Amino acid sequence: MGDAPLIMSGATKRFGAFTAVNNLSFEVPRGQIIGFLGPNGAGKSTSLRMSLGVMQPDEGSVSLFGAAPDVQNLRRVGFLPEERGLYKKMTARDTITYFARLKGMGATEARARANELLETTGLGKFKASRISKLSKGMAQKVQILSTLAHRPEFLILDEPFSGLDPMNQQTLEDLIRAEHKRGATILFSTHVMEHAERLCDRIVMLARGRKVFDGTLDAAYATLGRGARMAVEHGFDLAAALAPKGFEAHRAADKGPGDSWRVSLPKGLGAQDALRAALETGAPIVGFQPEEARLRDVFVSLVGEAEAASLDAPTPADVAEAA
Amino acid sequence: MRNIYLIFRRDFLGYVKAWGFWLSLAAVPIFLIVGAGFGYFAASSSPVRYYTVVEPSNVISGAIEAEFRRTQARAAQDAAELAGHMKVAVNEAQLAEAAPDRKFVEVAPPAQSVEALQPYLTGEKMVSGPSGEKPLFAALILSADGRTLEYWSSDVNVSGLRYSAETAMRDLSRRDALLAAGLNADFLKEADDRAVEVAEFRPRDEAGGGSAVTVADRAPAIVAVALAYFLWLMVFSIIQYLLMGTIEERSNKIFDMLLTSVKLPELLAGKLLAVFAVTSTMMLSWSMFAGVGSAFAASQSPGLTELIEPFLAAATDPGLIIPALISFMLGYVLYGAIFMALGSLCDTIQEAQTLLSPMMILLMLPMFAIFIAFQDPGSPVIDYASWVPLFTPFLLILRMPQDPPMWEIVAQMGLMAATTVVIVWLSTKVYRAGAVHGAGIGDLMGMIKGAMGMKPKAG
Repeated sequence: MGDAPLIMSGATKRFGAFTAVNNLSFEVPRGQIIGFLGPNGAGKSTSLRMSLGVMQPDEGSVSLFGAAPDVQNLRRVGFLPEERGLYKKMTARDTITYFARLKGMGATEARARANELLETTGLGKFKASRISKLSKGMAQKVQILSTLAHRPEFLILDEPFSGLDPMNQQTLEDLIRAEHKRGATILFSTHVMEHAERLCDRIVMLARGRKVFDGTLDAAYATLGRGARMAVEHGFDLAAALAPKGFEAHRAADKGPGDSWRVSLPKGLGAQDALRAALETGAPIVGFQPEEARLRDVFVSLVGEAEAASLDAPTPADVAEAA
Repeated sequence: MRNIYLIFRRDFLGYVKAWGFWLSLAAVPIFLIVGAGFGYFAASSSPVRYYTVVEPSNVISGAIEAEFRRTQARAAQDAAELAGHMKVAVNEAQLAEAAPDRKFVEVAPPAQSVEALQPYLTGEKMVSGPSGEKPLFAALILSADGRTLEYWSSDVNVSGLRYSAETAMRDLSRRDALLAAGLNADFLKEADDRAVEVAEFRPRDEAGGGSAVTVADRAPAIVAVALAYFLWLMVFSIIQYLLMGTIEERSNKIFDMLLTSVKLPELLAGKLLAVFAVTSTMMLSWSMFAGVGSAFAASQSPGLTELIEPFLAAATDPGLIIPALISFMLGYVLYGAIFMALGSLCDTIQEAQTLLSPMMILLMLPMFAIFIAFQDPGSPVIDYASWVPLFTPFLLILRMPQDPPMWEIVAQMGLMAATTVVIVWLSTKVYRAGAVHGAGIGDLMGMIKGAMGMKPKAG
């Protein structure tokens, strides 16, 4: 237990009357990639800041490598905040060197590491450039490198993909995999479920400050149950038609022709059985697709469509990038 | 300590690599050199101007000429006294050379009426004089009844000649009055020479009786004012650095990266030290410039060393310098913590500028006290105001040459230290609120009440 990079036990954080994080407990085991998922305002950043000791929980506790977060155990952590920023007048190399030194690295080693990271990520020729002279994507890369420079055992990345173009998102995914391969434990927050699906061993889902799921991806999909998507002509009540055949159907928010329904598959029956039953009832079917499990659907099933809709809202970094 | 050093180093190098630092550093010596050069140039390049006096006799002309000679004699006497202080041997010719050149030279009237003089005054016609042909700068014309001296000139902005003429007329009138009363012209001078001279002495314990007041007696008060002003200047200079530096970190969202690497007190200490080092570098550079200048002047005038010695002795007197150093340290930390905390609440320079006015007013109050102390070092205003902890750092220094009771010194230092601790504690809270929670200026009062255990008003 004490060796786990992070254990959060019953952590609660309030801002006046607003409870940002409510009785949150989860553990980040060594060597795993954990996705911290939820829409904007779910309490992800507040939880991560509590885990780093930047904020103190009003109730509950945080254990970082078996102790309360302090400068000593934080040296084993690399943190990328959601709101990015660097000293604009510092050069790329000096920036990485500075943050590596703050994490305990010696001057010579930190400088060599900064050069190495900049070279391997294609920023070598910009190492003497001021941050203000770099493109936004390059500056973000420098900040990510500053997080990794001291070879942390535990990486905490708050919305790391926000504000990055698709190419840089792929680069970051590769970087996360490389750090994991090196042995680092990684906890990253995101509201984009696809990143978590591709990278995570486990996920922790948050909604309105509360944990709604904590487990592996397989366990997450298992909560959803299997199903099929059907679209019928407007006004046809598929739920009523399929009920006598033993199938349960619910309206879905999918876009497309007609009304969209999700049909749950009872144990032992497949998507084709559901289609056959629907045809037998004379349902005017205009679309059919066996369901492929997605984390977004898991989230919808756990918190409802209205809450899940806010997953699509942009983060501050996205807004800044768009501007 | 390592983290404090790293924060200090980054901030210090950040400041000194900026152009603004070098411009500020160079500005003072350049300003002094240019200012002195400009003054010399203005004085030496001032042209010689011709004037004429239209009168039936040469009485007024003679009186004005006498006034100019008196002015030159006074300048020569001042130069002789300064040379005496500096123990520099000078002869009469050198003293005459030190006196400013005559800039107004009388010429014979080219005409006798205003109408006829007009072309000379407007530059249409020239008059001849020792500096060649020039337009007539001014004409002084005595009215027919002898009661008005009309001063005619196209240039109304140069008043030196008119003032000299007024002084000359007063002297002339006084002389005429004395003559009318049957007294000779030297009567007043004789009376002045016989006046009892007031000599200034100071009782001294060790001497038993006392001795004349010297520069050494005045030096501690002058040095105290200089030190208090130095501290004021330093605090005044840091406002911009601390506000702008903290705003940069807040607007660039760097706080979270920093606060997961260093403790908040380390961050604040490093930043305060960096700004202290920046201002100290500036002050030290300017002091070195002044020192080199003084050393050069002393090499040219050996007597200058004797003039400087009492000030050096006052500045190194433990009775003044120890309280001054403590006041410096506490005053710097106290004001630095306030400015840094306020900076952490601002997102933009415009927002910070709204804070500058109250800050300036707060800082002007001790400045007024420094002015008062300069004129009256023992003023009760200084004594009372020195109990206000925000002013103590400046005013305790000013009080030291007056030998205040020891218990007052200790009490004021204790109060100042306690206030500094409270202010640093409050500032840390405010800084944390600004840096971590993104609080703004509007939240300040609520935060202070919260920090002091008072519930902020709802809504």
